[in-house]
Amino acid sequence: MKIIILTNGIKGEIMKKSLLLVVLLICIMFFAFAQGENEASNEAVTLEWWTWDADLKDINAKIISEFEAENPNVTINNTIISTTEYWTKIKIQSQQNKLPDVFCMSSGYLEEWSSLGLLYNLDPLMEGDTSLKNFYQTLLDGGKEIAGGEHYYAIPFALVTTPLFFNKDYFDAAGVEYPNSNWTWDDFTNAAKKLTVDNDGDGKTDQYGFWFYGRYAHIEPWVYANDGNLINRKTMRFEPDAKAIKALEMLVNMVKVDHSAPMPQEMSALRQQDVFPNGIAAMWVDGSWNIDNNRLTADPSMRWGIAMVPKGPDTQEPKVHGWSDFYAIAKNTKNPEMAWKFAKYVAGEGLTMDNYLAGKIPTYIPLTESEAFSDTSKQPDEISVLKDQAASPMRTSFTKGWSEWRGYGAAESLGFNGYVDAVLNGTKTFEEALEESPEVLDKVFVRYYN
Amino acid sequence: MNLNKVIWYKKYTPWLFILPTIFGLLIFRLIPIFAALVLSFTRWSLLGSPKWVGFANYLEAFTTKSFFEIIGNTFEFSLIYVFGSMILGLTLAVLVNVKIKGIGAFRAIIYLPVVTSAVAVGIVWNWILGPRFGILSVFLEKFMETAPYWLTDPTLALRSVAIVQVWKMSGYYMILFLAGLQSIPRDALEAATVDGANSIQKFFRVTLPMLSPTVFFVLTITIIDSFKNFELIYSMTKGGPQNASNTLVYDVYLNAFVHYRVGYAASVAYVLFVMVGVLTILNFQVRRRWAQPLN
Repeated sequence: MKIIILTNGIKGEIMKKSLLLVVLLICIMFFAFAQGENEASNEAVTLEWWTWDADLKDINAKIISEFEAENPNVTINNTIISTTEYWTKIKIQSQQNKLPDVFCMSSGYLEEWSSLGLLYNLDPLMEGDTSLKNFYQTLLDGGKEIAGGEHYYAIPFALVTTPLFFNKDYFDAAGVEYPNSNWTWDDFTNAAKKLTVDNDGDGKTDQYGFWFYGRYAHIEPWVYANDGNLINRKTMRFEPDAKAIKALEMLVNMVKVDHSAPMPQEMSALRQQDVFPNGIAAMWVDGSWNIDNNRLTADPSMRWGIAMVPKGPDTQEPKVHGWSDFYAIAKNTKNPEMAWKFAKYVAGEGLTMDNYLAGKIPTYIPLTESEAFSDTSKQPDEISVLKDQAASPMRTSFTKGWSEWRGYGAAESLGFNGYVDAVLNGTKTFEEALEESPEVLDKVFVRYYN
Repeated sequence: MNLNKVIWYKKYTPWLFILPTIFGLLIFRLIPIFAALVLSFTRWSLLGSPKWVGFANYLEAFTTKSFFEIIGNTFEFSLIYVFGSMILGLTLAVLVNVKIKGIGAFRAIIYLPVVTSAVAVGIVWNWILGPRFGILSVFLEKFMETAPYWLTDPTLALRSVAIVQVWKMSGYYMILFLAGLQSIPRDALEAATVDGANSIQKFFRVTLPMLSPTVFFVLTITIIDSFKNFELIYSMTKGGPQNASNTLVYDVYLNAFVHYRVGYAASVAYVLFVMVGVLTILNFQVRRRWAQPLN
């Protein structure tokens, strides 16, 4: 027994000493780790930051100096490349394995880039990050959805939506009530008819009720306002559903039957974004960034406003056509934590409204809620409509190969845009376009999704 | 001079002088041309690595209806451009081949569009040809109800752009023809005058035959230039409406830098390369046969 007790005593002694040793070791390791972390955080870090807006050069420099002041060990190099060349150059950087640590990412390319494994998976960095409560969760999730729905690969910094622009002077002159959230498509088309005017009686329309062509930001808002879809997301094929077709019919009839909107070729000598501010059309739907263009182009005496796109007849749950611009982090960044810290900074805390073209909506809630965003000294008075749109469920038509099947930019006379314009200009019938387009456009989808 | 007696001269010295050009040609021309050929057998979006697909790009091109429309447009543009530029260039050259006061200013004015940015030319002609507010449409609508939609009517768009290109470049060919006209010996023309030939006879029987080397030179370069039509198409029609003014060069641009289908774009570029090559060889054959200098 003694022995046992003795043994137990010796064992207890050994146990005590072992415990002390373990505690000591843990303490040493903890301090060593803490010291190491401290050293690591003081290590010089250089981040490459690529953006696409040359007008923001000075503002970016200010952001950098503020961030560097808060993080003295960090150096940020900003490269600005205009949007026309941005994607070619950044793709070449990617090819050479030299992607910048933090860079602008479009909604249109997020799916392709994430699926190719070029972007840093932000999930572990975002987990437990309380600062993200300052960002609209719907927009963070929107980016996740575009990227395939499994992981976060980008943080949004600006949202654009597609409101209905309307000329208040023309509405007042025609005695038509301004658009409101209860407007139906009938209210809209009737208003467009009343707002179509031949001022000099020469048989030619001088003022149209509405202006649009096959452009994505002109068509999709109506399709989504009726909760329709141009593509079947399950099969990834061009397959406009009945609600989308109804939206297209309504628009086509405005040109072909009501003559309350011009054929696109009538306006071909003008920049499409100048038709409304030049007073040729009383209403127009396009991206919210055109608020800036309207302010610059329209006669200062012209009174204009914005409203939600009227809800379609086939739904109680209309969707808003809207999408974000993001910052992404390169998969091969050597400093993911600091890159994430900086990405969050340039998507939110580090920004002021000076960073945003009028009409772009900050995704950083304190900024959107600020007085600077709701500046009532400038038109439109209804700027809060953008916040309403930002809070609504959103949809886009972005897919891989989008510019090709949709017909965008230098290819805007082709793709779906080309078909819509052909119908509106009278070189194809609506039925012909609906019958021919899937065969042509699906070739793009087959290439990317089969 | 005996080169071997020059102290610094060595046998390899000439090579040193032409080495920069050879390097430049290799790096910026020949290697990219060869790389494009290899790329034309791949599928590549600039992201990731090119994937070898064999003749799939060529097969896709030659089994797509719109590709044949694009080839047809390319030839139509080429025809309008070659004949338009040559006729207008020669006419202008004959008109300015006179010694009168201020002729230099006329020549400079005619040459001005050549050195003007193609995009600027496109924008200005867009305004001129535009419906509703375009100066030509406003003028024509005094005589007709609606002026043609020059740039958005599928039957007119390509021809309108080609004519603008002819207008822009004719001054350049005028200078070439002018040089040719001024090298024709005056005694041949004087002899024809003495023989009683009128101006038209002198032009067709003396001037034109003696100008044939210049004509064939201009023909060769107009054929090659006729395929370089990107800028005006980009600034005036963007290949539309619905491929109506899309040409091979514009299609290469669209596929390479808008759709990022680099492999397919390279295959279209090679189709264009073969077409230009064949036409140039044919042209030289014809030149050998018919365009011997008369002197």
